[in-house]
Order: sequence, then structure tokens, then C-alpha cells
Amino acid sequence: MHLLSQNGDPAEGNERRATTGEITKLGRAIVVTSGKGGVGKTTTTANLGTALARRGARVALVDADIGLRNLDILLGLENRVTHHLLDVLEESATLDDALIPDKHSENLYLLAAAQSREKEDVDTEKMCALVASLRERFDYVLIDSPAGIERGFRNAVAGAQEAIVVCTPEVSAVRDVDRVVGLLGNRFRPQLIINRLRPQLVQKGKMLSVEDVDAILRLPLLGVIADEPQIIVTTNRGEPLALRRDGATANAYHAIAARVAGENVAMPTVELKKQSFLERLLRGGRA
Amino acid sequence: MNLGAALAKAGKRVILVDADIGLRNLDLVLGLEKRIVFDLVEVAEGRCQLRQALIRDKRFPALWLLPASQTRDKDAVTEEQFAALVDQAARAADYVLIDCPAGIEGGFRNAIAGAAEAILVTTPEVSAIRDADRVVGKLTDRALPMRLIINRLRPEMVHSGDMLCVDDVCEVLAVELLGIVPDDEEVIDTTNRGEPLVLDETNRLAAVYQKIARRLEGEIVPFTTFNNGARQGLFGRLFAGLKAG
Repeated sequence: MHLLSQNGDPAEGNERRATTGEITKLGRAIVVTSGKGGVGKTTTTANLGTALARRGARVALVDADIGLRNLDILLGLENRVTHHLLDVLEESATLDDALIPDKHSENLYLLAAAQSREKEDVDTEKMCALVASLRERFDYVLIDSPAGIERGFRNAVAGAQEAIVVCTPEVSAVRDVDRVVGLLGNRFRPQLIINRLRPQLVQKGKMLSVEDVDAILRLPLLGVIADEPQIIVTTNRGEPLALRRDGATANAYHAIAARVAGENVAMPTVELKKQSFLERLLRGGRA
Repeated sequence: MNLGAALAKAGKRVILVDADIGLRNLDLVLGLEKRIVFDLVEVAEGRCQLRQALIRDKRFPALWLLPASQTRDKDAVTEEQFAALVDQAARAADYVLIDCPAGIEGGFRNAIAGAAEAILVTTPEVSAIRDADRVVGKLTDRALPMRLIINRLRPEMVHSGDMLCVDDVCEVLAVELLGIVPDDEEVIDTTNRGEPLVLDETNRLAAVYQKIARRLEGEIVPFTTFNNGARQGLFGRLFAGLKAG
């Protein structure tokens, strides 16, 4: 399929020559995608990027959702966008102009999408070249894909070598991911993040479990993120949850970042905290 | 799906069109995925009749599904073909509900090509509202009248100031409100099982969708308000951004 021809062999050309002449490794370009909209691609990109930057990695986040950008809001950078992805592709701005340093995390940069343009305005080859030049400067290039499997998706995927697919435990989301994995083919080695799991619902048999999703998709699991109101609060505020040092969900993002970096972190079984009536009352009061 | 079922339950003839070619889902949430013989693309290409492709719902005899093709691309159908197809469906039904794919690309343009009205669905999150605002612009360009459904509202979070309230969302988007659907675990469960929740009279959300159906029919039905008493200072900054952007 057309997607694959855009993408070189991931093992190929993974080196860059630093100015000193020593050979260093090129960064990894990872597309975050899902097929279905609203499952948490952008939230995952913002939090994973934040968590990777906290580990000391240099990270560039690329918002490939041209016309419907959101990554800037989640990072609280919406007022700092002056140049965007298309400006760079069309050479009306340099990468240095367009990369916005994050407020909270050192080493984290955002390349925002154009809000008033169309996905069709992106030249796929130029997109590949852009991602390649980002790989020379960053350890990780995370590309936030738009929903769907149209042109915007193909552009987002074009320069990437790896894919993270985000899925909620719903049959429709699982089916869309399954389709996307098919379209990605063998090159991207897709890994799975299950998002918005509600352990209580799984226990009651009202939601697909991690095992159910795994049985259908058979993808390497990077992590499981529980559905929690704090995610909505932090995304609205523009402060990714992964900025926090503690808390189950922040830790889940840190563990995913460690796994992406190649560390062997044990997958915690999603704990089912039995909430007492009192605890629920307290939570209600605090939330 | 739930709105279609609510309309069918009220005695209307309803055709649901899944416009998400390549990522169809409406068949799954209706539990009709095993009954698909022909699909939308085949109708558009003239390889079968519309009535051959329509699948009658298991529970509501007045509810029909026109499934999307799973193995084709969005550009397999042109806007003209889509508009003609919706036109044909509209002659056979009281309501044709077109389930639009996410985004604003070709699939979106196809889905709105044959429509006379639009229902905009957003969650009360800043990012969703910004996307919705962009879609409002696109629909306004087409002079499509639109109304708004706010989905997945969590009243307790609105109350604690952690979520935008209904008035805030309406103020940003300036679109007439059609309904408010609270976040409910039943939605996930019933869609996974392929059962519209309006089937169950005792379900909290069944009443919500039935109210929306009545409003579509032109009835004036009061809204349950989930507004926060005090205005939320927290979101002032975000609003400023949204209004400017």
C-alpha cells in the first residue's frame, strides 16, 4: 500500500554525524494514532512526551492534525504559537522559529499544526524530510495523528518508523485500531496503549478487559491508563498529568515512557481499589 | 444510534447512514454487523439498489441501517454521489441520520453533502470545543442549520468547577442547544453489546435521548440544567484563547 512506500526501513540510516565527526544515533519518530476519534491520542502524546522529557530525553511533539489542532491547548502553549508545521514545510519559517519550547518541561518542544489550513496542503515527501531533520535534533519525535484513515493520517504516518496505537476498551475503538494496524502493515511495529479503562466496569463485566482487547488485537502492550477525571482537568488547564511525580495515572505514563525507552518495567495489573462508602464520599468532596 | 432508535420508537421511519467508510462502527453498536450484504459504496456505484443494502434493525421495524464499506477509502464516493444517495433515502424515510467520520477531510465533506441540517456533538472539554468551533465554521460556509448536543457531561465535575458547564459551551459555540447527555457507563456497555439503550425504559439515558428526539420533532422540552452556580474563573484564560482563535 501507498503508506509503506513512503517509509524507509527503520533499521536503515539510524545514525547521524555530529559536528565533531562522531557518529550518534538518530532519534526515533513515533506516530500516535487510533483510527477512532476521541480515544485520547493527543492526551497520550502530551503525557508521553512530558514523561520522556522528564527522563532527560530531547523530545519534539508534532501536531499533525492540521485544521483541528489541540496539542498546543493540552500543553498550555496555545498563546505562544507563532509559526506552525505548514510554515516550515512551505519554507516561510525555519524549524527554529516554529519549535515552541514547553513551559513545564525542559527538552520538550512543540511543532504546532496550522489551524486555518487543510490536510491536503501537506506535501507528504516534505513531511518525511521534516521528520527526518527533527530526528537529527531530538531523541524522540512524537507525531500526533488526526483521527481517521484519510490524508491527514497518511501524512502523519509518512515520516514515522514506529507507531503507538491508542485504544479505549470499546468494541468500536478496537475494530478501528484493528483496521489501522492492517493499514500500517509490518513496518511500524505498532504497540498498544489501552486508554480510559474503568476497572470497576470491567469487574462488573460491563467493559472489555485488557485481556479481551489483547485477545482481539494481539499487539505488544505498552501500558494501560485508567479513566480518571483528573485527565480532563489537566488537559483543560494545559498541564499534562505526567508532570506530577506521583499518583497512579502519572506513574502509568512514566512507566510507559520507560518501556518506550527500552526499559523492562513490569506491567502492573490494574488494581481494583475497593472503594468504601467513606472513600467515595471523600473523593466526591475532593474531585 | 440512540437518537435514531428514539425516533423510530416514537413511530418515525428512520434511516441511519454510516458515512465512515473504512472505519464503520454503526453496524457494531446496533448489533447488525453480521447482516451486512451490500454497503453504501456499492449503492453509490450503482451495483445494487438502496433497498437491497438497507438492513432493518432487529428491534425497531422502522429503523434501517445503510452500512459503510469497511475495505474502501473515503474517496470511493464523490460528494455528488453521496448527496444523491441521501436524497433517495430521504424520500423513503422521515429522518435520515448521517453518522459523520471524525475530522474535516473528504469523509466529512461527503457526509455533509446531502444533509439539510447538522447536529454537532461535543464533549465539555476545551480541545473538543475548539474542534467543534472549527466545524461550526465549515457548516456555516455551507449554510447548514445546526444544533448542539453536549455529550459526556459529568455533573459532579461541573459542580466542582473542573468541567465546563452547559452555558459556557453554548456561549463559546453560539449554537442552539438540542440536548445534554451525561457521562454514563451504560453507554459503553450497551454499545458494546449492540443494544440501543432507549430499549430499556428504566435507563436514565433513554429519557435523555427521547427528549432530544422530541425536540427534533419540534416540541419544546425543557432542559435539565447542569450548570455550576458560580461562574468558573478557572477557564477564563482558555475562553479568551478560544474566542480569539
